Amino acid sequence: MAYLLQHLLTDSAARRPDRPAVAAGDRSLTYSELDGLSNQVARVLIAQGVAPGDRVGVLAPKSAASVVGIFGALKAGACYVPLDPSAPAGRLSTIMRDSGIAVVLADLEKAPGAAALAGSVPQLRSVIVVGPHWGHEGEGAAAAPPPGLAVVPWDAVLAEPGGAVTGNPAIETDLAYILYTSGSTGIPKGVMISHRSSLTFVAWAAAYAGLGEQDRVCSPAPLHFDLSIFDIFATCRAAACMVVVPERAPMFPVRLVEQMEKERISVWYSVPSVLTMLVTYGNLAGFDLSRLRTVIFAGEVFPVKHLGGLMAALPHARYLNWYGPTETNVCTAFEVPGGGPPDPVPIGKACANTDVFAVASDGRRVSRPGEVGELYVRGPSLMQGYWGQPGKTQEVLVPNPFQAAYHETAYRTGDLVTQDVDGNYVYLGRQDGMVKTRGYRVELGEVEAALYGHPAIHEAVVLPIPDELLGSRLRAVICVDGPSGLTREEVLDHCRRRLPGYMVPDVVEFCETLPRTSNGKVDRARLAGAR
Amino acid sequence: MEELQDTMEVTQLEAVINDYISREFVQDATLLPLANTTPLLETGVLDSLSLLRLVLFVQERFGIVVDDVDLVPEHFASVDAICAYLRSGTGGTAAHGEGHG
Repeated sequence: MAYLLQHLLTDSAARRPDRPAVAAGDRSLTYSELDGLSNQVARVLIAQGVAPGDRVGVLAPKSAASVVGIFGALKAGACYVPLDPSAPAGRLSTIMRDSGIAVVLADLEKAPGAAALAGSVPQLRSVIVVGPHWGHEGEGAAAAPPPGLAVVPWDAVLAEPGGAVTGNPAIETDLAYILYTSGSTGIPKGVMISHRSSLTFVAWAAAYAGLGEQDRVCSPAPLHFDLSIFDIFATCRAAACMVVVPERAPMFPVRLVEQMEKERISVWYSVPSVLTMLVTYGNLAGFDLSRLRTVIFAGEVFPVKHLGGLMAALPHARYLNWYGPTETNVCTAFEVPGGGPPDPVPIGKACANTDVFAVASDGRRVSRPGEVGELYVRGPSLMQGYWGQPGKTQEVLVPNPFQAAYHETAYRTGDLVTQDVDGNYVYLGRQDGMVKTRGYRVELGEVEAALYGHPAIHEAVVLPIPDELLGSRLRAVICVDGPSGLTREEVLDHCRRRLPGYMVPDVVEFCETLPRTSNGKVDRARLAGAR
Repeated sequence: MEELQDTMEVTQLEAVINDYISREFVQDATLLPLANTTPLLETGVLDSLSLLRLVLFVQERFGIVVDDVDLVPEHFASVDAICAYLRSGTGGTAAHGEGHG
């Protein structure tokens, strides 16, 4: 019985050892190879002192190598923490210190960068290289690592036995991974997901998408984005093939569509903005995507115009809208009817083994279509909490207000919803300062906190600018202290050193004073109108 | 894509593109001043967001239309590559570009 994520791999490797598990460019791995290599990685991790429950960083793009590393970390009883390879070093070291990462799995390209983080991450003691120079081990030997840091090359991993790692004491409520997301006070929040929580989603998702071993599943979402849980683990559960495309593939839509045709992709999962790029710039009519049978999108609202365009261009596919904050995996789903998308596209009904309900501002449970409330989620798919932030956790993981008989936890999404006459939930907006850009969550407060870190900035407000392609762009309005001569370039440079690219403001404006409401708060509504 | 006017001198076009990219997108200060041969994709200077903004910029600045089939890595690999693409005019793109853009 699979009660840990890595059991999905050992089961599929036992049933279908020679089926392709991962296809990444010209490198592919069978289930048997993926199982054996990840056993070798697990042995190295254990030899490096990784104990059950430890957090292991993964600093690499999505690739055959990083999937080997992820399963290796899980088989060692550890919890993996994906580290965005394109994030600034300062943010990576913040996350590594916060989660107490002592061992990092990195690909050959990122290994020197991982080693360089030792200066700002005192507890870091090992960097283990996973791939990617398959068959050319020993190449690219890094410069001498800093004192006290062990760098384990890939050929040392390959020297380990590939048989099953036994004696793993992990249980289903132990952590499988921590995904860091934007935090409103300026510190990223580590969403802790257990094996049970992830498997609840994975089992539902594989069944809902009807995954079978002939499927070729692709998602361009990077490892630190929760969409990647589907194409890594649901694919593995079905003994299907995970097709990896470079993370920058969506930049060049025609090339991506060409690759989808060549790789015979049958199931696609991405944020809507990537699909909007494909339907706008992808020349879909010029390629044969007849094998694409299911298109899944999540992470933000899909503008109906573009979804309709996509469905007209590829009418043979199923279109599934999945909804769920990282804290809940996915909690609702809606299958878009073939006749064309309703406007707006509902987020649908609760997934299997999950319940959702909406609570009105007076505390009553929403019971009639059209009533508005905050969406709550209950069930085993919920996170364990935010790593090291019990206060933040208590704000969102609350006692279920409608369960009097025993203690039950529910997650407050902060999302306002209503229900349509068919019982489908419809997303209306946020209660707080969180916006989405390209599916990424951005807490406006985290961007503001970064701006306040500049000595010349007296006050700063960040506002979303609605954008059809991206969801939102970010506009910063800044008051400076005296005649500082602060320029827009300096502000952007300051942000880029602290924030991932998607959180850097697109527009920077300066003003003498910020408009205030009568109770002294910054008048965001007036600022938003002043464009 | 329509032909760029010949009045745009060689260095001038490079300077406009280089200046825009340096100002808007370069995050890594060690890349500045930006060379016209610096790889823009491997270094992460261009990502999906900045590429779209660059396309909008050249479309507005030069009054041209970048066809979907022209949105390929070879045309955006460096400042030099972008300028070579902008100068290439319609040759080789019109046959694929009908009905899009």
